[in-house]
Amino acid sequence: MSPSSRSSQSPPAEIGVDAVSAPDAGADPGTDDPALWSVIAPVRREIRMAMALAVVGGIAWIASILLILPIARELTDDSPDTGRLWWLVAAGLAAVLLAFLSRSFSFRASHLGAFRLEQLLRTELTDHLAEVPLGYVVTEGSGTLKKIVLDDVRSLHAFVADSTPLFARAIAAPLLGLVAMFVLDWRLALLSLAIVPLGIVAMFFAFRDYEDGRREVDAANERMNTIVNEYVQGMHVVRLFDDGSESYRRYRTALDETTRTLKEWNEKSQGGVYVARTLFSALPTVLILLAVGIPMYRSGRVDFPMLATFLALGPTVIESVLPLVWLQQPIVRASASVKRIERLRAVDRQSRPESGRAPLDGSVEFRDVSFRYDGRADDALSGVSITMEEGTVTALVGRSGAGKSTVAQLIPRFWDTDAGAVLVGGVDVREMTPEQLMGSVSFVFQSPFLLDDTIAGNIRLGDPDATDDEVEAAARAAQAHEFIVADLPDGYDAIVGERGSSLSGGQRQRITIARAILQDNPIIVLDEATAFADPDNEFKIHEALAELARGKTLIVVAHRLSTITDAHQIVVLDEGRVVECGRHADLVAQEGRYARMWSQFHDAQEWRLRSARGDVLDEVAAEAST
Amino acid sequence: MITTFRQLIDACGSKADLMRRSLVLSFLSAITQGLAYALLFPLFRALVDDADDVWRYFAALVGLIVIDAALRFAETRLVTRMYIEVAFETRSDLGQQLKRMPLETLAKRTTGDLNHVLVGNVNDVVAIAGGMFSVLINIIVAPSVTVAATFFVDWRLALAMLVLFPLALPLYRLIRRQGARDTRLTTEAHADTASHLVEYVQGLPVLRATRQVGRRAERLQSSLRRLRDAQREGVEIGTIPSVLMAALVQLGIVVIAAVAVGLTLNDRLDAAAAVAVIVIAIRFSEPLAMFANMSVMFDFMQAAVERISEILSVPPLPTGVGGHEPAGAQVEFRDVTFAYDGSDDVLNDVSFQVPERSLTAFVGTSGSGKTTVARLLTRFADPRNGVITVGGVDVRDLTQERLMNEFSVVFQDVYLFDDTIAENLRLAKPAASDAELVAAARAANCHDFISALPQGYETTVGEIGGALSGGERQRISIARAVLKDAPVVILDEPTSALDTESEAAVQRAIDALVADKTVIVIAHRLSTIVAADQIIVLEAGRIIECGDHDRLLGEDGRYTQMWRAQQSTRHWQIVSA
Repeated sequence: MSPSSRSSQSPPAEIGVDAVSAPDAGADPGTDDPALWSVIAPVRREIRMAMALAVVGGIAWIASILLILPIARELTDDSPDTGRLWWLVAAGLAAVLLAFLSRSFSFRASHLGAFRLEQLLRTELTDHLAEVPLGYVVTEGSGTLKKIVLDDVRSLHAFVADSTPLFARAIAAPLLGLVAMFVLDWRLALLSLAIVPLGIVAMFFAFRDYEDGRREVDAANERMNTIVNEYVQGMHVVRLFDDGSESYRRYRTALDETTRTLKEWNEKSQGGVYVARTLFSALPTVLILLAVGIPMYRSGRVDFPMLATFLALGPTVIESVLPLVWLQQPIVRASASVKRIERLRAVDRQSRPESGRAPLDGSVEFRDVSFRYDGRADDALSGVSITMEEGTVTALVGRSGAGKSTVAQLIPRFWDTDAGAVLVGGVDVREMTPEQLMGSVSFVFQSPFLLDDTIAGNIRLGDPDATDDEVEAAARAAQAHEFIVADLPDGYDAIVGERGSSLSGGQRQRITIARAILQDNPIIVLDEATAFADPDNEFKIHEALAELARGKTLIVVAHRLSTITDAHQIVVLDEGRVVECGRHADLVAQEGRYARMWSQFHDAQEWRLRSARGDVLDEVAAEAST
Repeated sequence: MITTFRQLIDACGSKADLMRRSLVLSFLSAITQGLAYALLFPLFRALVDDADDVWRYFAALVGLIVIDAALRFAETRLVTRMYIEVAFETRSDLGQQLKRMPLETLAKRTTGDLNHVLVGNVNDVVAIAGGMFSVLINIIVAPSVTVAATFFVDWRLALAMLVLFPLALPLYRLIRRQGARDTRLTTEAHADTASHLVEYVQGLPVLRATRQVGRRAERLQSSLRRLRDAQREGVEIGTIPSVLMAALVQLGIVVIAAVAVGLTLNDRLDAAAAVAVIVIAIRFSEPLAMFANMSVMFDFMQAAVERISEILSVPPLPTGVGGHEPAGAQVEFRDVTFAYDGSDDVLNDVSFQVPERSLTAFVGTSGSGKTTVARLLTRFADPRNGVITVGGVDVRDLTQERLMNEFSVVFQDVYLFDDTIAENLRLAKPAASDAELVAAARAANCHDFISALPQGYETTVGEIGGALSGGERQRISIARAVLKDAPVVILDEPTSALDTESEAAVQRAIDALVADKTVIVIAHRLSTIVAADQIIVLEAGRIIECGDHDRLLGEDGRYTQMWRAQQSTRHWQIVSA
């Protein structure tokens, strides 16, 4: 037997399901899935070794069964050769030991191979992530990517570590058994296989509607999955509109649907599956062998030891058919994961020159840039040309979806343009190395990212060689020094805690600004909305940003128009095009789109919530006084 | 083992009876199989002796096999039924429980985690309950019956067979213990890798700048190495007991064969019985060796059962039996103190009144407790001390449905279900007519853009996903609140995440929603609430100031400071050119 497969963490529930419902995908042997085999190619050596050892184990096992024949012959002999008999028992012991050792080593080889594969794949994938467009990384999100790199890679384990040797064995052992049976006695061999045609007919009936049913069940499960997520995420809304039934309805409907589909599927396939399972178990074959074997023995056409050997061997060969069927499950599961892994691998890496061209100054230029997100019908940007001189402030404005965030993201090369070019310091961003580009452009538009490291370590990410004094100076400039020293027990050596959760949003934001200050890049890209994630600390963040932007080329995605009235140029975007560009006063005077936005902005600023009654406080006061 | 059975039966809830019946059937089927194998002894003997009763034994064997087939058929039917019904019942219970348990407890779990329980763990339990137990019973009971029968043939042989079991049991325990330890180690290593991966992906923009990516991302790479080490250790040390178990079973067969041979050579046993025992031992060896593998399944099942019951056992917030009716739409907090589990007080002795149809604003820095006030009102959790009343009735005396009837809440983050816009609106009032939907949408300033969608109100939110802007989604959620027409409206900074154009539209929608209602607003931008009837300033969980705008400005306290700071940032320039 193969030692426990417990180190595989995925619940091997499918075996259980199959024991009651149906063996999976019998009609579609997924063993041929080329993607699966190509993913495991790096550990081919270990897997081959494991499979070879498993074959040896299977052979030794069949051999130990075959030893029944000579042993039984000696035992039933009137004058048994005692010495030979003990040698045979010793041979049995040797076969059993060999079977045992080869299986243990096979297990070891396949598991160590599987673990090595996990690490290899993860390293490869994280390497890959470092070179794909950052926009892809941001869009997919850390949750999805983590799931691929961790969970999908992990779900290969059941296949690589457990299925491969089991497969080799499940094929080798019955094959050898079959050969042995025909060599020993072809009549009994045929009898042993008599059940197979019946079983195949039963399987045919069992699987006739199986695939369709399976698809329906999968679809119902998928829907259940979605609804559960929705139900959980929307729980605060669910409760708010809870009248005892309605909000629960979507969940309940999905649940009913899943249950009904499952019931129907079972109803349809249950009979055939049951018959197939019964036929491929040991006892029916024992029965057939005896029914014909007894008269054969009595008429002297077969001797007792031969019959006994077949009674052990025949059912063993028959029984090994079913594992072949349920072994498909890990493959089916792994295939889905392999698809996701392959999809990630297929994301094109951005071209990166070995030795790039360094930017000449702190300017940024968009030259006739067009860009479209994958899978979208419309251009996010079309024919955009903007020039941002070194040391100037450019504000990008427009309604949501106008393309202002896309402009901001193209500068640090989150995506590559479809047409035109983005130039930083006069050099096409595609001709720069990542270090050159990232050494020129800082951006503050993600939710602030902090490592689970010390405060100083987090700030130093901007410049690994910075001295303590430089780190502190940056923190002071970012208005962070004060709270670091006053609020954190270990000051700069305080560990930030899991994903920075021990700090408020504004504090985290200021640490990332300190990092950017230390980085001292000539170009700063800023998203105003996320920069002010914590409105309570707005004032301090203002100060920090002013420090960061001093003397730099600043590109800001603006939401509150009042903050950018002094900008050197305001670029108004609409549906991916630059519709207006100029200074505040000029744009207002043009009475175009910007002027409209400006007046809307003012209206929004002036908005007040109104009370249904104005005399309330007097009442409260009156009540309080009584 | 017994505990596992108990857990299993408990896990089946009201279907426990089905489970018991199916276990009994498995048991009977295993006994039948054990007897069928035991029949090989007399059958072989009759065969070798050329006795005529060989056909009698054969007939008996046929009988047993038919009975076994019938038992297994009945069991399969029963188990399948149970499998489906238990899954249904458990998910249904979990669904209800999610709605009843305090949101505070619920909020501590991630969506993925809960999904894993509701979908994955339920599957684990029913699958294992359905399939594995009958296999397990078979593995244990069938050989035991055969061994018992062997006593009638030769007691020494039976003893030799018996040796396997007592030796296997302590090993089995060891396997379970070792398994639990390995599982813990690798689970920890996986969790560690998961958080480093998330960190890596989120930090890529920064890490790329300093080239700390891929193979050079030292923090990530070292966690990957640690994970592989833990896994390796699991294989090299962790599997020793199950390897021993396998060895034991395999060697046991050789021992049995040797004993049988020895006995026969000494004429204490006939050759037919010796051959029968070898055949039987070989037949049983494979499933017995499987036993060790199966222990993993029980670990999975146990873990799954625990995770499910962890959720089911959270006591729901106590609710009233009904009968209480709020009189009016005034809200009051009386000496309310509240702390989240394991942290300091978030609200400390907070008392205030919100008269009917008045506008009350809560202001303060993040962490001051202003969001908690709104949460307690809707019973996200109950206060540790003090009383919260709505319409004069303690919120704990109202049923959840009755309480929720009183409130409309507009959150900063809008949640729309992946359903049609009409259905999303009807959530508020299932019986609403189309005309009512349109009226609510018009009031919330969203009828025009909904009508412009390809399928109008029948457009599915998911299909157009990204096409709805934040402001449009917010207006749909406000239309939903308008349709609900609850007497108390809670606004939780509903426009703070919107762009200027959306903001103006949402503001008009809010105007329609709050008309004539009791309004509680959590405000950041003070300019929006200068007309409030009362402004309550919170700091570190206490009310430090309370009054209308003019009065608070007159006091020259914290509110005045905040007001001045905001007024100055209104004129702030990102960089003055």
